[in-house]
Amino acid sequence: MDWGRLRFFLSEVLTNFTRNAGMQFTAIGTVAVTIVLLGAFLYVRDTIQTFGTGVLSQIEIAVYLKDGVDDNKAQELASRLASDPRILSATYVPKAVGLKRMQTVLGRDFDTSLLTSNPLPNTYHVKVKDPDLVPAVAASIARDPLVAKTDYAADTVQKLLKVATVLGRAGIVLIALLSLSAAIVIANTIRLTVFARRREIAIMQLVGATNMYIRLPFIAEGMLAGILGAAVAIGVLALADTQIVPKLSQTLQFVTFQVNAPLLSVELLGVGAAVGLIASWLSVGRYLRT
Amino acid sequence: MIKLRGVSLTYPNGTRALDDVDLEIEKGSFVFLVGHSGTGKSSLLKLMYREEVPTHGEVQVDGIRVDTLRRGRVPKLRRNIGVVFQDFKLLSHKTVWENVAFALQVTGTRTRDVMRMVPRALDLVGLSHKSRMFPSELSGGEQQRAAIARALVGNPKLLLCDEPTGNLDPSNTTEIMELLQRINLKGTTVVVATHNQAVVDRMRRRVVRLEHGRILHDDERGYYFRGLGQTAVLP
Repeated sequence: MDWGRLRFFLSEVLTNFTRNAGMQFTAIGTVAVTIVLLGAFLYVRDTIQTFGTGVLSQIEIAVYLKDGVDDNKAQELASRLASDPRILSATYVPKAVGLKRMQTVLGRDFDTSLLTSNPLPNTYHVKVKDPDLVPAVAASIARDPLVAKTDYAADTVQKLLKVATVLGRAGIVLIALLSLSAAIVIANTIRLTVFARRREIAIMQLVGATNMYIRLPFIAEGMLAGILGAAVAIGVLALADTQIVPKLSQTLQFVTFQVNAPLLSVELLGVGAAVGLIASWLSVGRYLRT
Repeated sequence: MIKLRGVSLTYPNGTRALDDVDLEIEKGSFVFLVGHSGTGKSSLLKLMYREEVPTHGEVQVDGIRVDTLRRGRVPKLRRNIGVVFQDFKLLSHKTVWENVAFALQVTGTRTRDVMRMVPRALDLVGLSHKSRMFPSELSGGEQQRAAIARALVGNPKLLLCDEPTGNLDPSNTTEIMELLQRINLKGTTVVVATHNQAVVDRMRRRVVRLEHGRILHDDERGYYFRGLGQTAVLP
């Protein structure tokens, strides 16, 4: 490694970067705003998705057996359920056990000893491998001659997932537009730098520097602006994570706020760098061609 | 070294800068291109370092067809050609040393070689003692010498000078011309576009006179005005 060459390159990038600091500030700010929104959006989407899939993976289909289907007969159904590849597990809950469980849930509010007979049906609790298959599996089990009825918390969960999908699509459009505006600001900044350095560029071309070499410092500069913008945004998001989210989770206790912070940070830095790279590449490229 | 055959150059705005020019310049020679401003001297130089591409004709520099050269190959051509201008084109925020080193650094020269080559170039133009100064701290003649050092630091075979003394007083002019002569003696081919009659007449080198984009005359050991020598009066 030739340290002298690396130092020359880095000092060129830094001088340029500081030379039009005002414009760089604007570029960094725009990237930061874009990425804060991107981060917040990803955060919300992830939360909904974790929440939704969490709920879904816990979803059980309650299979109520017909009256008069006794424990022995219920075993027939067990083998039929076990042969269905979509089903993860099926637990048999005889009516007596069901009643006991109800008693522990309801406690003293309800005295089961007052009942003359057990009103609960024998039940299977069925877990499905893929949450998406819940409705289909429930329907097919319902057709079994031993089954009276199947039940699951369908609507709510499905709506939630639909919201997540819509949010995902709208978000992609929004982020694309924001990234575009950030890219335009960076491109303009780089164009100003290029303009400020047109003498240097002319001399570089005169003494035989390759276009790639001329381009490199500008691209590094654009990427630097993108990465700094992303870093600012990550700082803002981290602050929000420690200040706002705890209050939110107090009010929305059923939602688990959970996000893979290191991974998200790396992704956001990557987005910043990519926006800077593309913007400056195009910006200098246009200048060098003319 | 340089061969032009049937070269014409018309700019996009319709100006005809060069019109069917044939010219051959030997390796190691010293040639003046003279003529009024706007007669195509600069355009001729620009064709040689491929700043311009001829509308018609062939341009050959050191065995390379410059007119058909692919864009990606231009940098390599230019590393073999030093160019010097009337306005020096030095970078004001860099010292003399940095300005000269810049030409090597941006063409990917190893630091070890930069450290070796820059002092040699500064020594050749006599600016070693001012290497840490900025261009604004130098006289016009010194700035031009710094620019020549930058043009020569990569050991090009050809040095093109476009009005190198246009901004200089007579004593600095003499200094620069002597420097160019010394550079030529070391084997570099030197082409100087100028309209400085005194310089041309004193040096008695090959003179190619352009008028309206054509070669009017081409004399070995010539004068600025053919046959008149230093007694010439401006028409």
